[in-house]
Amino acid sequence: MAAELLVLVKHDCEVCDQVLPVLDAAAVAGAPLRILSQSSPEDTAAQARRVGLRSVPDTDVDLEVSARFDPDAVPTVVLLDGGEERGRVEGLHRARLAELAGRAGAELALDGLPELRPGCASRTRDPDVAATLAARRARAEGRLRARALELGALEDPFEALHDRGLTDGLPGVPPTPERVVGMLEYTGRDPQDVVGAVPPYGGDATVEKVAINAVMAGCPGEALPIVLAAVEAACVESFAWHGLIATTYPAGPTVVVSGPLAAETGMNAEGNALGQGNRANVTIGRTLQLVGRNVGGGRPGVEDRATHGQMGKLGSCFAERLDETAPWPGLAQDRGVPADETGVTLMATEGPRVIVDQLAREPEGLCASLALALESVAHPKQRLAFDALLVVGPEHGRVFREAGWDRARVQERLFELTTSPAGELARGAGGSPEGIEPRFVSDPDMPVAKFAGPDRILLAHAGGDAGLFSMVYGSWAAGEIGSAPVTVSVEPWR
Amino acid sequence: MTALETLEILDPTAEVDPEGRPLAGRPPDLRTIALVDIRKPRGDVFLDELERLLRERGHEVQRTAKPTFTKPAPADVRKEIATRCDAVIEALAD
Amino acid sequence: MSCGLRDVVEFEGTGRPAVLIASDAFVQAAEEQSRKLGQPALHRAFVSHPIQDRTDDEMHALARTIVDEALAALTPKEATT
Repeated sequence: MAAELLVLVKHDCEVCDQVLPVLDAAAVAGAPLRILSQSSPEDTAAQARRVGLRSVPDTDVDLEVSARFDPDAVPTVVLLDGGEERGRVEGLHRARLAELAGRAGAELALDGLPELRPGCASRTRDPDVAATLAARRARAEGRLRARALELGALEDPFEALHDRGLTDGLPGVPPTPERVVGMLEYTGRDPQDVVGAVPPYGGDATVEKVAINAVMAGCPGEALPIVLAAVEAACVESFAWHGLIATTYPAGPTVVVSGPLAAETGMNAEGNALGQGNRANVTIGRTLQLVGRNVGGGRPGVEDRATHGQMGKLGSCFAERLDETAPWPGLAQDRGVPADETGVTLMATEGPRVIVDQLAREPEGLCASLALALESVAHPKQRLAFDALLVVGPEHGRVFREAGWDRARVQERLFELTTSPAGELARGAGGSPEGIEPRFVSDPDMPVAKFAGPDRILLAHAGGDAGLFSMVYGSWAAGEIGSAPVTVSVEPWR
Repeated sequence: MTALETLEILDPTAEVDPEGRPLAGRPPDLRTIALVDIRKPRGDVFLDELERLLRERGHEVQRTAKPTFTKPAPADVRKEIATRCDAVIEALAD
Repeated sequence: MSCGLRDVVEFEGTGRPAVLIASDAFVQAAEEQSRKLGQPALHRAFVSHPIQDRTDDEMHALARTIVDEALAALTPKEATT
């Protein structure tokens, strides 16, 4: 095959204006030239008229050819031999253009043109265009495989997401291919890797599907590795996500992030950490629930049978405060994640409740207060069926830290203090029909623990500098019949 | 992106359901049908016969007319249909 | 015709099965409009064009050709997905 000169131009470029008449004349004289414009047919035609071309350059449809050769600037002249690139000139360099054209057996009448002029930015460098091309490339290369949904031209995109049942009551960011490709930049994983099978219908949460829901949730890209770890943890069988979705209990997944990535991602571990306002906290939790809803197919009123639910089911996620105020290492680190790494701990919980103690200065007294609140998780007379996540605030944490009580010691003491005599817990005791069946209460003085073990009281540390409060999240059904907390390491992406 | 272009998004679901917004469920027993006349000329002749045929097939028919075919049905027409009827036939567009 | 389709979208949105009967001059336009409204599966039934200059008897005949199709659009499909 003979050599060919492929030329890329655009209409709003003075250098292209200068070079085009020369190329046009050479083409008419028989030079093997193919001229493609990055601009619209209308703009190209107008340029051709303006600079007096004898034929209008063809359009580089969808910028396909430009994307292939990916020049920084136009005009670009590429020497092709058998379809392969043998050389190129970007911008106007008279000497190099003459030489390149000569190799294709063409002569260009370049006299009168400047020796040297840099071209204008290729349209492929326009950020919007680059994003669209990247999305198209991702689709062509199989990195994007999700079905494309066309939102009608007469639909408002935000209403459309509600109308299709894709969101949780709040608006979602329309997950365009460009945004999803942008999100996928924050992980090194293959987009088609399956993170887990999501109940109740077992849909595969691929990295791509997680990224799509992360975009919808408004999640910052930096948080994607944390989100992926959370989805992985939620899909672990012992977490019992299926039961958690289907239960009448007002519980949902709570995500505790422990480690350096939390701060790097902009998460909040301090004032109002369990509340609104921090984008990463709010959207990591929301992404997990959207994955549950969209990939798993569980919807309120249908598969989700919660009697009341609570707003934590929109998303429940916070970072642990592990600075110099922390009484202990992170929760994830206590559960096996290496000290300098970041882990997520998923626990099936209700919404948090405050425990006030403004007077305890010693760990014994503080534990006594905390234990009173812990014992009332679900119902004071319900024993062994529930775990708890206790989020110690810094003013309370200081009491433990200054007294040198480590996590295990606090857990032990809380376990002991949440024990009550069986007689007080029997059905009918205190006037309440709830409680332990009488046949299990042989000795009314026998101590009955609230929790199945000290390790069932998970301790985390978060909150602002001021405020003598801790927060307790009662769990959903615990142990064999229910959900167990799961901790997973976060794979960072650098 | 202008208002008149379509927007492509990627499906966040497990792709089990068909595309597009879901249509209303079709209940097995269809009793009362609203016949909405969009008020194009001669449409009423068509609708008269349609009404007769529907009644012949055992349905109750509620005739309503839109004030004009150039605008969507007003709220009171829609509300009346929603409360009294099981399904809607709108005719005759030409 | 496009207002009629918008009405159908509204009715479906409130849980009422709906169908638009139109002249078959609108087959293409109706398909495009439905797509643009985000509901390509909107039910439509077509009678043959023209409409305006038909006699009363011809109009009645058109109604007879379409009534069963219109009813089918409002009742459950027999086939399972």
